[in-house]
Amino acid sequence: MDLTAFADALQQSGISEWMRASLKALPIIEAIHVMAVATVFGTIFIVDLRLLGYRDMTRPFSRVFGETLRWTWAGFALAVVTGALLFMPNARTYVANTAFALKMLGLVGAGINMAVFEFTTLRRVASWDSNAQTPMGARIAGATSILIWTWVIVCGRWIGFTKGYDFTVPKEMDLDFDFSQGCLNCFSDLWLG
Amino acid sequence: MLEFAQWLEMTPLSVTIKSIEWIIPLVQSIHILTIAIVFVSLLMVSLRVVGWIRMDEAFGVVMERFSTWISRGLIILAVTGITLVLGEPIRELMSLSFWLKMGLLAIGITSAVVFKRSLAPAVLADGAEPTFSPVAKSAAMATVLLWLTIIFLGRAIAYDVEVWGALSLSPRA
Repeated sequence: MDLTAFADALQQSGISEWMRASLKALPIIEAIHVMAVATVFGTIFIVDLRLLGYRDMTRPFSRVFGETLRWTWAGFALAVVTGALLFMPNARTYVANTAFALKMLGLVGAGINMAVFEFTTLRRVASWDSNAQTPMGARIAGATSILIWTWVIVCGRWIGFTKGYDFTVPKEMDLDFDFSQGCLNCFSDLWLG
Repeated sequence: MLEFAQWLEMTPLSVTIKSIEWIIPLVQSIHILTIAIVFVSLLMVSLRVVGWIRMDEAFGVVMERFSTWISRGLIILAVTGITLVLGEPIRELMSLSFWLKMGLLAIGITSAVVFKRSLAPAVLADGAEPTFSPVAKSAAMATVLLWLTIIFLGRAIAYDVEVWGALSLSPRA
């Protein structure tokens, strides 16, 4: 199954139908997505500043990391669920959207950055946990993380300013990416016939 | 209000912001990044009040660590927020979510200032551990919900008709 067919299947699913038909579902889920994303970025930022040796230097890194990251994961789980719900009703336009692709690329990058850090610098955490100066690997991971998550948020916001699709639309193709217009159309269809 | 928003839309500053198409997305991104930092800073102080995190650190140190980020962040939020209102006055000012957000923001900022002032000088200066009543702990968690609602309403501004239906202030309603 190729990506377009997969996107079509998602877009035609019951949840997608419900999301498109409901006037309020998408805005509410989108607003919850922003709440979740804010939690993710804000908590990761605390860990990154500690990695950079800029804040919380009187506390061991492992403690800052352990205490903060559970909130990051809670926020991230909520962001994934709400993000998937936002994606599904317009899956076909999202898979063809450059800003969306760049955001996903950022998320993959964030995962790689985290994995590299965990398998290298974090393995030796005992040797630098309470040091005033963090090792180079930690500083690189912290700076990279801030840059990547900023990128993810900027791309996420950028999606809303694109027309949704980055290709010439065949005439018969229905692209209801303009969400507020789509909602108003849906509303008028329901109530005005 | 509609007349005021329409007048604002015609001012040279508003016209300039609208005419340069990358300004609004960029300023919105900065606004979101900053609210993430401000919200989580408030979350961390609230969790410390409840006693869930940073109990190895003096309360005054935790306040010191996060309150600078909160106050400076709020200044950036005000500047970017005003820019966004100037850029899209009708969308912002003719939105129920916007005015609810402003109301909750006033409550949120006031409660944060009152809280900081209520701390004994010894807490901030000498590292004394304050005692928080169950009411104070509940209030701390309530402020977390308050700020989450502020973030929610911020995003809901764009969808005033969809979220609020007949209650919406939007000319589209």
